[in-house]
Amino acid sequence: MVELDRVSKLYGETVAVDDVSLALRARAFTALLGPSGCGKTTVLSMIAGLLAPDQGDIRLDGVSMARSAPERRPVSIVFQKTLLFPHLSVEQNVGFGLRMGGLARSEVRRRSTEMLELVQLAGLGSRHVRDLSGGQEQRVALARALVLAPRVLLLDEPFSQLDTGLRTEMRALVRGLHDDLEVTTLFVTHDQTEAVAVADEVALMLAGVLAGQDTPKAFYTAPPSLAAARFFGVTNEVPGRVAAGCFVSADGTLRHAACVADGAAVLVVRPEGLQLTTETGPHCVPGTVVAARFAGTHLVVEVRADGGTRLTVHVPAAEPVSVGGRVAVRVPPQACTVFTQPR
Amino acid sequence: MSIPSGAENPATLLPHPTSSPRVRLPTWPRWARITLLLLPALLVVAVFFVGGVAQAVAQSLGYQPFLPGHGLSLDAYRRLWHDPAVRASLLLTARVALLSTVASAVLGVAAALLIRRLARTRTVVTRLVQATLAVPHLVGALCMLLLISQGGLLSRLAHAVGLTASPAAFPALTNDGFGWGIIAEYVWKETPFLTVIALAVLAGGAADLENVASTLRANGWQRLRHVTLPLLAPAVAAGSVLVFAFTAGSYEVPYLLGQPYPATLPVVAYQGYQNTDLRARPEAMAVAVLITVLTALVVMAYLATASRLSRRSL
Amino acid sequence: MRRVGVVLLLTGLLLPVVPLVVWSVSGQWRYPALIPQQTSARGLRLLADPRTQVLHGLRLSLAIGLVVATLSVCIGFAAGRAIGLYRFRGRRLVQFLLLAPVIVPGLAITLGLQVFFVRYGLANTVTGVVLVQLMPTVPYAATLIGAAYANFDVDYERQARALGAGPLRTLLFVTVPLLRPALILAGVFAFLISWSEYVLTLLVGGGQVQTLPLLLFAAIGSADSTAAAALAVLVVVPPVLLIGATGRMLTGSPGVTVGFGRL
Repeated sequence: MVELDRVSKLYGETVAVDDVSLALRARAFTALLGPSGCGKTTVLSMIAGLLAPDQGDIRLDGVSMARSAPERRPVSIVFQKTLLFPHLSVEQNVGFGLRMGGLARSEVRRRSTEMLELVQLAGLGSRHVRDLSGGQEQRVALARALVLAPRVLLLDEPFSQLDTGLRTEMRALVRGLHDDLEVTTLFVTHDQTEAVAVADEVALMLAGVLAGQDTPKAFYTAPPSLAAARFFGVTNEVPGRVAAGCFVSADGTLRHAACVADGAAVLVVRPEGLQLTTETGPHCVPGTVVAARFAGTHLVVEVRADGGTRLTVHVPAAEPVSVGGRVAVRVPPQACTVFTQPR
Repeated sequence: MSIPSGAENPATLLPHPTSSPRVRLPTWPRWARITLLLLPALLVVAVFFVGGVAQAVAQSLGYQPFLPGHGLSLDAYRRLWHDPAVRASLLLTARVALLSTVASAVLGVAAALLIRRLARTRTVVTRLVQATLAVPHLVGALCMLLLISQGGLLSRLAHAVGLTASPAAFPALTNDGFGWGIIAEYVWKETPFLTVIALAVLAGGAADLENVASTLRANGWQRLRHVTLPLLAPAVAAGSVLVFAFTAGSYEVPYLLGQPYPATLPVVAYQGYQNTDLRARPEAMAVAVLITVLTALVVMAYLATASRLSRRSL
Repeated sequence: MRRVGVVLLLTGLLLPVVPLVVWSVSGQWRYPALIPQQTSARGLRLLADPRTQVLHGLRLSLAIGLVVATLSVCIGFAAGRAIGLYRFRGRRLVQFLLLAPVIVPGLAITLGLQVFFVRYGLANTVTGVVLVQLMPTVPYAATLIGAAYANFDVDYERQARALGAGPLRTLLFVTVPLLRPALILAGVFAFLISWSEYVLTLLVGGGQVQTLPLLLFAAIGSADSTAAAALAVLVVVPPVLLIGATGRMLTGSPGVTVGFGRL
């Protein structure tokens, strides 16, 4: 169980990591998600020991690691650039850590070969690093990290340089290895679909701050903040006010459980959560279709509500939609999230 | 309209302003272009290098353009082989070159590793290293003479602290039989050369690999031995080959800092060349050929080992 | 520990220069004094004295250096383009051949060359010296510029041609500005190699083309340490200044720094 306790890191004037407290459950697969420059790689480097936090502590199973050099932490890390040693063969790369630990050569070779099989690179031990493809290089880097049986495995966007098909394959490989070896894993990425596809839990970092930590589903159905919602691709934001337990906007009123404190508020709802309908009534907002675009698996329909708000709705591709026609948008309350005091 | 290959003649892609027949600009075929570009440089190499070496070989075999009636023979080489002076010169040259190269390599790498860890002083020290590189060898020879000769500054310092009583009591480091002065000048000038090379390699990503190694349970010494030094080896080896070739073939430094006998091979060659008796010319040329062969052998040995370890840098 | 290392390094680098500078301004400096008993400007005055030919040697060294630098950069520019831009059979061989004059000692090569220079009336002439100095400088220029061309995106030229520029204007306004750092560096190296060159100038110039290195060699052989030191200071200042000005370009690839070895 890895804990970051109020960790901060500054680079001169810039705060890269701001008072972050993060707990990784033992043997869980957590994704550390966030846009470029939000501090995720810094967090990873601090857990690995390559950077020292300016404030706060990092603990493994309750014991502080802050003073330990990287070589003494039971943490392995795989970087974005594979950083395989160019002067060593594949097998020598994989066995590097074991050799540094003083293990007998025959044992090193045995474990390296075993690990290469696990990452599906059996038989490539004597190959030179230069002759490998991008995907093969990453597998070697993985093998090199895992052969040391670390307590924590850190991955810093390791597949961002690979093309899509390969990326999916490698994700599955990492997830499979995690499940087999039961190692606590922290996977850094800027791609929220990747995070959602592979992780048990997602920790979202925005501008150096931890903006939420929850299951992937929760980020979709109940995002913890407006910034988090925006990061996850919510495109419908309706400004308005909260009054008497309801959200009031130019397009209507909606009773919502989150409407507690009166004041300015914003309502967000995902395009997939809305439907087009011809009904009228509560939670149906009348409006005109402004645009309809085919997006492969669905239609992206933009509706200008009569009150002025623009709503984006995803409808099944086969549904008949005519631009300029009158339509109503059904807004289910359970698909909405209301944030008070929007920034 | 024909599509020009590889867009090497984009002019034909532009529409012609009038509708008269399109004119294709003359393009040289690729091989002609390459040859033309390389010609001047290859001419310089061919005339000077190849010509010079060929002439030296020819003259060493007895070919004398100004002296009639001599046949070609290996006499000059036979005389060299039996000449104890030449053997002594060969030994001296090899010793000086080897020691200088090894010392410069070790010190150069050490200096680079040190400079890499400096913070505020790094730029100043690096500039100083580069400045030392710029000093011509002749000036360096004079510096050494003024510093480490028996009347030089170090000798005077030794006298000042009471270690020596007279110039003669200070060890003879210049114009001596071992070649200490020569080695000192070479090491002073070539260490910065290898330092600059090592620094360039270290700047190119060594830090990342060392970080990886530290996450793979390698401590400081292990990182140095298993990551940093292997990374430096190719470039430093290539640089060392250049250093060896230079120190084996330099004339002015051993002449000024060494003894007349035994002198290094280049000095012997030059002196033989200056001999007004033209019959000594073949031997002088044979020494020149010997120097060439020696350097070529070292380079070939380097290429052979480097390509076997497949990390060539030259 | 680090500080000790820095002190040792700085001492090692600077110590040999100290007696040189002090001797150049000393009037009398007998053993065992640590500082001159008398300082004097005699050494510096000797430099300006027409009898010592130093000013003539300075003009000669400068002129030869500039011509050699210009020629070798031009030749190297062409050869570098071929090596860096095109892949052709025998490219490695050409690269190797170009480096041969750098590796094999100049003395060994030039001893044999004398015959050519005499035959074509170039012995003991400045022209001959300029030509022979191309031998060590062209390889460096070609290798440096070749490396720059290897990193050069030829699409810039294609874009210029597609916009209507002819080959000459493309060269002048696109290629050369983009390669400027490498060209400057190659020129500086060539100049410095020429400036410091002794043996080749001696052999081909026959002792009659008296560049500064030849004068310095003679001065070192004389008993006048002050004169020699003063001249050495004159010889050392331009290289140090030039390298100081271009030093920033040297922290790049190791291939670039190979040029230093010849100095």
